[in-house]
Amino acid sequence: MTLFFQVLVVGLTTGAIYALIALGYTMVYGIIELINFAHGDIFMIGTFICISFFGLFGITNSSAAPTGLTLVSVLVITLLGSMVLCAVLGIVIERVAYRPLRNAPRLAPLISAIGVSLILEDVGKLWKGITIVPFPQIFPQKFYYIGSVSFSSVDILVIVVAAIMMVALQWMVTRTRTGRAMRAVAQDREAAALMGVNVNRIISITFFIGAALAGAAALIWGLKYGNTNFTLGFTLGLFAFTAAVLGGIGNIVGAMLGGVLIGVIEALASLICDTTQPGCPIGLPHGGSAWHEAFIFVILILILVFRPSGLLGQQTPEKV
Amino acid sequence: MAIANTLVPKRDTRALLIKWIIGLLVPVAVFTFIWVGEAIINDTLLTIFGLGGIADIAIFIQITLFIIVFYATVIALAGYLVAADSGQRGMIELWIDIIFFVLLPLFLVISQGLIIGLALSAVLLLIYIFIRQRVYRALHITPPAPLQNLKALDTEQQLELKNRAIVGSFWFSVALAIVWLIVDLIFYFSGQLPTTLLIWVVIRTLLLPVVGYFLGRLAGTIALRRTITAKSNGNGENATDGSGKRVGRRQLEKLSTTRVREEARDLVPNDLPQRSSGATRFYLILLVAFVLFYPVLDQYLFGFGTNGRLASYGDAGYYVILALGLNIVVGFAGLLDLGYVAFFAIGAYTWGIIGSTQLTNVLNIAPWDPHLLSALFWPMVIVAALVAALFGVLLGIPTLRLRGDYLAIVTLGFGEIVPIVFLELDKYTNGTNGIVGVHSPSFFGVDWSVVTPTPYYYLILALIAFTIFVNVRLRDSRLGRAWIAIREDEIAAASSGVNLVSTKLFAFATGAFFSGIAGAFHTAKLGLVSPDSFSFTDSIIFLAMVVIGGIGSIPGVIVGAILVYALNVFLPQQLAASATDPTSVFYSIQNGIVHFIPSFTFGNIRNLIFGILLVTIMIFRPEGLIPSARRRRELHHTEDEGAEVGALDVVPGAPGFESEVRVE
Repeated sequence: MTLFFQVLVVGLTTGAIYALIALGYTMVYGIIELINFAHGDIFMIGTFICISFFGLFGITNSSAAPTGLTLVSVLVITLLGSMVLCAVLGIVIERVAYRPLRNAPRLAPLISAIGVSLILEDVGKLWKGITIVPFPQIFPQKFYYIGSVSFSSVDILVIVVAAIMMVALQWMVTRTRTGRAMRAVAQDREAAALMGVNVNRIISITFFIGAALAGAAALIWGLKYGNTNFTLGFTLGLFAFTAAVLGGIGNIVGAMLGGVLIGVIEALASLICDTTQPGCPIGLPHGGSAWHEAFIFVILILILVFRPSGLLGQQTPEKV
Repeated sequence: MAIANTLVPKRDTRALLIKWIIGLLVPVAVFTFIWVGEAIINDTLLTIFGLGGIADIAIFIQITLFIIVFYATVIALAGYLVAADSGQRGMIELWIDIIFFVLLPLFLVISQGLIIGLALSAVLLLIYIFIRQRVYRALHITPPAPLQNLKALDTEQQLELKNRAIVGSFWFSVALAIVWLIVDLIFYFSGQLPTTLLIWVVIRTLLLPVVGYFLGRLAGTIALRRTITAKSNGNGENATDGSGKRVGRRQLEKLSTTRVREEARDLVPNDLPQRSSGATRFYLILLVAFVLFYPVLDQYLFGFGTNGRLASYGDAGYYVILALGLNIVVGFAGLLDLGYVAFFAIGAYTWGIIGSTQLTNVLNIAPWDPHLLSALFWPMVIVAALVAALFGVLLGIPTLRLRGDYLAIVTLGFGEIVPIVFLELDKYTNGTNGIVGVHSPSFFGVDWSVVTPTPYYYLILALIAFTIFVNVRLRDSRLGRAWIAIREDEIAAASSGVNLVSTKLFAFATGAFFSGIAGAFHTAKLGLVSPDSFSFTDSIIFLAMVVIGGIGSIPGVIVGAILVYALNVFLPQQLAASATDPTSVFYSIQNGIVHFIPSFTFGNIRNLIFGILLVTIMIFRPEGLIPSARRRRELHHTEDEGAEVGALDVVPGAPGFESEVRVE
């Protein structure tokens, strides 16, 4: 049972990060029905931006971590910087690669998004090389126990930051004027335009917010896992997108739920033992973690078979 | 004397003659004299005269056939074009078009090699078409509509049309003969032409006009088939108005605006005969001859290194099959598949496991006879394809209720699961190491070793031909129409009696079937199969081929596959190779950039280049390079939505019309 809860903690923290990225996918999909393949790569660029910000403050892997107020201000500035720069990147991408295709056939923006994703990947490769890039671990690691389940200070940070972002987003979407405009555009772009909503501006804002969330996720990912790589955006983006679909694409709460669910599945899969090792009668070759991707997608397929619009997605009745 | 009379061009035909003879003669001369046409012919003739040349009789026959087909087709084409031209468009416009559509690609292919040359010219063409559109728009030029001057032709006019074709072909061959004679005389006096070949020069000069006359008659017959006669309107239907000789203008207008414009465009005479389906037949003959005899032509065209080039074209070939297969799922049935690579992997592993010692090892039985294994390839291609198709159905079943992007993510998931299974079940698949030592196919008296890629070239050619044939037949079948109906509107299709379940499953199965064929070929050609050739990125690239080429359009998808292959695989290699050469311009570019970005190499930015091209192509041509006819109409449908009259069509003469009747 301890093991189960321990795994749950791991799943929750990973899932929180997935959820933050998934929000970007789901918001963009909700508003222009585009799978924004470049979103994961914005997240990857975000991790690189964070490292550069640390560099500005003289923090490298070898230097001593700052403490107290310095630490807090470094973290806050890096968080804001990463969010803003990622957001600007998101807006630029939307302006250059998606807006000209607003009325094009459905698959054209998808291919365009794939193109942007490839471009960003190579930019990352040119920027930091093809090796795994270490991320300075400046947040002090302390371990806490509830019973025998342990969790670290970083875990708390991840969940707190993710929770704040999600609550803020939820508040923004449901309570503010901009949020209402976003929901209006998502529901019917033309009607929203007739009601005086500036559609292009709202779509830009959506990209801004989605990318900013990816920028925030980038920082907490780095603090939690301590490394990054130019392919990170692809792998994480895939999981995050899956999370968005699992929860019901276009649905913000669904994306959070999906992210956490995938984190937990991934962690639970690692419990399955390795049949190539002695002492494992039932299991999978090379252990569950080698198969975790397969697990995630099998569960995704199963869920979609029974709920074709995801867990929280609305079954929109077909219009004839 | 009657013949002589017909051969004198009438006053109104002269302009047309000049227009087309120059338009066609320049590319032919470039091919013959600047490139290799002359060299190939002389080699063949030397063989006939027993002066060396080609030793292998099979090669000799192939080359002779190619030459005859090539020149005969071009001469007939000249006649057809002269006959089919209504003379509305000026000659300068045509010549500029020919420079960009024929000469530029020709020079690029000569200097850069086939695939790179074609890819570069495709990109340049896109730019050209885009600029031309802008210029037309800026200058407010509205090209005359192809149908405005169409008349029904009475018997006399038909005779004249046929005469025009004869005149066209005849004078074209005369011009060709004269130019050739002059060039050969120059060659002779500069000592580059063996004296024996002078016999041939004389024969050719006398022969060409005669051949031209008869090919002109043929071209005339072909052109006549596409005219509107007084009795029928060119589509095999009887005209309803009883006014007799002429089809009423109103009816033509109706034909142009509400009937399928693609058919109308093909009527003769026409403003753009070079784009009509009649001319396309001739292009097809040229293309087929070229592709069929390519292995023997290659050394003439591009010099040494035939084997390496043929091998890489074999690779480009299975991309074509994959793209065509995916086109069935995505293009015809409208089911977005992001995991197509899974079926490719299944096909590849099916032959990989059976065609090597893997199966017998796993089953712990004595290994089979290698000859038997090699012969097994032929039935196993079908088996691999069927296994893939079976998995296509298995994937299809859970996705039946899903729509749009939910379907996309499930297929994506499937595409991720399958390679993981192959990777982790290493007991059967050797895991990361993959299966090596897979047998190549065997066929009577053919050497399939790696050093002779010609058999693989013809194998992939046959597979592609099979795939195209099945694709075309399927598209035009009841099933194909059902797919398209589902793509357009599932509910409407279901209420019209289309069985959604079986139709969708058939789409998945057929798509996967071709992927399985490509997979088996891939493994056999490479001799090994390893899990890292099957990633999500590959699925994406296959999808990019379909979308860039023009979704649902078979010629478009083929062009898209070749273009993407060239841009994604060939171009970076070529760039990286030329960057190591200190004399090339890329070398200095690379050094310049390395100052700022230390890790920069051209090999390193393969995806960057590809990504930029993807985005650019999509922005400037979101419907793909060669959109299908139906797709083009659809696009206009969305643009014109709300317009009351002719929502499906642009009125001829409107600015959008030109873009409608472009390239096919």
